Amino acid sequence: MRIAAGVDVGSTQTKAVIMSDNGGVQIAARALVDTGANVQRAAERAFDACCQEAGVHGGDVGFVVGTGYGRYKIAFGNAQMTEITCHAKGAAFLCPGTRTVIDMGGQDSKAISVGPNGEVVDFVMNDKCAAGTGRFLANSAEVMGISLDEVGPLSLRAQHPVKIATVCTVFVESDILSYLAQGKTGEDILGGVHIAIAKRTLSLARRLNIEPEITMTGGVARNVGMVRALEELLGRKMLVSPDAQFIGAVGAALFALEKLDQSFESGIWRGEHAVPGGH
Amino acid sequence: MKTTTNEKKEYRGSIHQLQKDLMLAWYDQLDQAATTGIPPTVSMMISGNCVELLEGFGAVPLYPEINALQLAIRHQSLDPILAAEDLGYAADNCAYVKADIGCILKGITPTGGKLPTPTLILCNFVGCNTYLKWFEHLAKLQQAPLYVIDVPFMRAEEPSRSDIEYVVKQLQETVKKLEQLTGRKFDYDRFRQAVACSSRTEELWSQIKHLARRSPSPFDAYFDAITLMGPLYVYRARPEGVEFFEAALAELQAKADARKGVYEQEQFRLVMEGPPPYPYFRTFRDMFAKWQACAVASTYSTVGGLWEFGFRHDPKNPFESVAMHMIAQNVTNRNFLQRYEQIRRYVEEWNADGVIIHFVKSCRLFSAGQGDMRDYFTKQLGVPTLYIESDLEDPRYFAEAQTKNRIDAFFEALEHSKGTAAVRS
Repeated sequence: MRIAAGVDVGSTQTKAVIMSDNGGVQIAARALVDTGANVQRAAERAFDACCQEAGVHGGDVGFVVGTGYGRYKIAFGNAQMTEITCHAKGAAFLCPGTRTVIDMGGQDSKAISVGPNGEVVDFVMNDKCAAGTGRFLANSAEVMGISLDEVGPLSLRAQHPVKIATVCTVFVESDILSYLAQGKTGEDILGGVHIAIAKRTLSLARRLNIEPEITMTGGVARNVGMVRALEELLGRKMLVSPDAQFIGAVGAALFALEKLDQSFESGIWRGEHAVPGGH
Repeated sequence: MKTTTNEKKEYRGSIHQLQKDLMLAWYDQLDQAATTGIPPTVSMMISGNCVELLEGFGAVPLYPEINALQLAIRHQSLDPILAAEDLGYAADNCAYVKADIGCILKGITPTGGKLPTPTLILCNFVGCNTYLKWFEHLAKLQQAPLYVIDVPFMRAEEPSRSDIEYVVKQLQETVKKLEQLTGRKFDYDRFRQAVACSSRTEELWSQIKHLARRSPSPFDAYFDAITLMGPLYVYRARPEGVEFFEAALAELQAKADARKGVYEQEQFRLVMEGPPPYPYFRTFRDMFAKWQACAVASTYSTVGGLWEFGFRHDPKNPFESVAMHMIAQNVTNRNFLQRYEQIRRYVEEWNADGVIIHFVKSCRLFSAGQGDMRDYFTKQLGVPTLYIESDLEDPRYFAEAQTKNRIDAFFEALEHSKGTAAVRS
C-alpha cells in the first residue's frame, strides 16, 4: 500500500491530509490547525495530528507535498507545488467533472479553469487586496460582535439585504456601522455583505470562461450563506465537497501518491518542485 | 532527484562589462557638462527619442527615465519617491516621475557624480500626459527651457503624410531652438552621419533579437536586453554604439553557434509585456530562472524603437526617418491593436510557450488595457498568459510571495500541458 501526504499551509489555517492507494485512492486522515505565527510548527502539528488520526508513523508516509503560502517552510516535505495546481487536482478528484474552481481562502480568492485531467488551464487571483476573501467576512463578523461561524446562517435569514458599496475590507466596517446606526437588522447587513463578496469574486472569475461543473473550495466554502449568494449570482448550483477546506491538501497528497508510482516519471512530474535536502 | 541551481546563476558576459564602461563614460560626460557647461545636454524621453538630432550639435542626451531606473535597481528609489510625495505628489502618480523629482529635490544622482542642468528639456513624446507634466515640472525645478514636440499618436497602421510633415517641421524648429541655446550651428552632415550610424546599430540590434529565435536562445530578450538598452539609447548614433553592438552580436552569435543558451536546458520560451519591477529586478529574474524560462522577445525592449521588423533610420531622408521613428516605430506611440500584433508575431515567429504581462501600478499609459490583452491571448488565440502586478520603480507595490506564487502556478500548468503533450506523442 502506498501512503502519501499533502500539507496546505494557508494564511489562516493549515490543513494536512494522508491518502492511501491500495488498489483505490482514498483519504485516510485529515487534520486542521490554526497557522499562527510559527508556520513551520503549524505544518508539523498538522502532519503529526494527521499521522495519529491515520494510525501511521511519519516514516511510513512515502512522500509529502507541501502547498499554500507557507509551503517553503515545511522542513519535512519532499516537494512543493502551488495551491492553484493542487486545488485543481483535488477538486477534480473529490468533485469529478469539475471545470471551474472558485476558491475563497483567508486572504485570497481565485478562480481556476480546470482541464479534463484535473490540470490548470488558466487562473486568476485577487490582487494585493483582501476584498472578496475570508478576511472581509471575518472583519464584518468582528464589527457586528458575532462569531465567524454564525455569519453564513444569519445571512440566509435576510429579508432586504443592504447594499454594501465598498469592496474594501477596511472600509466595510464603517459601512456596517452606518447601517447599524440606521437600525438595519444584522441579518440584512450580513446578507448584503455576502452579496458584495460574491459579486467581487465572480467579477474575478468571469475573466475566465466559467464552465460547469463549478466547484467551490477553501475555508469559506463552509459558509452556507456564501455558497447560496454565489449560486444565486451564477444561476446554477456549485459542487461543494464536505472536504472543501482540505482540497488543496488533497491535491498535494494526490501529487505525492503519483510521485510514489514510478510510472508517473514521464515528464509531468519533474524535479523543479523538489526541495533541496528534502528527505 | 534534480534540484534547481539556476537561481543564483551569474548572468554576466563580456558585453555586460563593456556596457558598464560605456554607461559610466556617459555619466562622466554629464558630470563634465555639469562642471564646464560643455558638451551641451538635452533631456529627453526614451520613447521614440531623437538622439540623432543631438549629434548635429555635439550634444549629449540626458534621460530622466534611465536615472530613475538606475536608482531603483540599486534599491535607492524609495527615498526620492517619499520626498516627492512629501511635496504633494499623489500615491498614484508615476513612480518614475516621483523618483526623478525627488532626486532633484534631494540632490541625488545614480552614480554620485554631478548631473548638469540641461541646455534644453525636450519633451519628445506626449502620448503620455504624465510625461508632459513631468518635463514641465523639471523645467520649473531646474529653471531650464522646455520645448515640446507634439507627436501624433498612431491612429492607423501607418502615419499619414501630414503627420510626418508635422513632426519634421517641429524637428526643424527644435534645430533652430538648439542653435540659439547652444550657440552652435547645426552640422547637417554630422546629423546625417549619426542617422547612418543609427541605421547600422539598429541592424546589429535587430540581428541580436533574431538570435533569440534559436533554441536554446543565447540571450534573454527581456532581462539581458535591458542591459543593451542603455547603449542603444545613448550611443546608437555614434561609432561607439556601432562598435558595442558589433561586439555584442559577435559574442551572442558565438554562443548561438555553439548552441549555448541562457539555461543549460531551456524549458520554457516566453514573450514579456511591460517593464520589469526594477526594485526587485534580480528577485524577479530568479523567479523565471528557477524554471529555466527564457524570454525570447519583449515589448519593453522596443520602447525606444522597434527595429526587429525591418525599420531603419535612413541617411538619405534623415529628418523624415527620425520623424517616422518617433511616430510609428516605438511601442508606446503605437496603438493597442498594433501591440497585440507585435506580441502575436513574437509568439509565432519566436516560437514562445506563453506570454507574461507585467502590469505597472503607477503607469496607466503602458498598462491600461492589459486585462483585455490577456483575454485576447488566452481566449482568442489560446496562448497561455500570466498577468501579474507590481511597479517599475516603487518597491512598495511588489509582493514577493504573491508574485512567486502566480509565476510558479503558471509554470506548473505549462509544464503539465507540455508533459501531457509529450506523453501523448
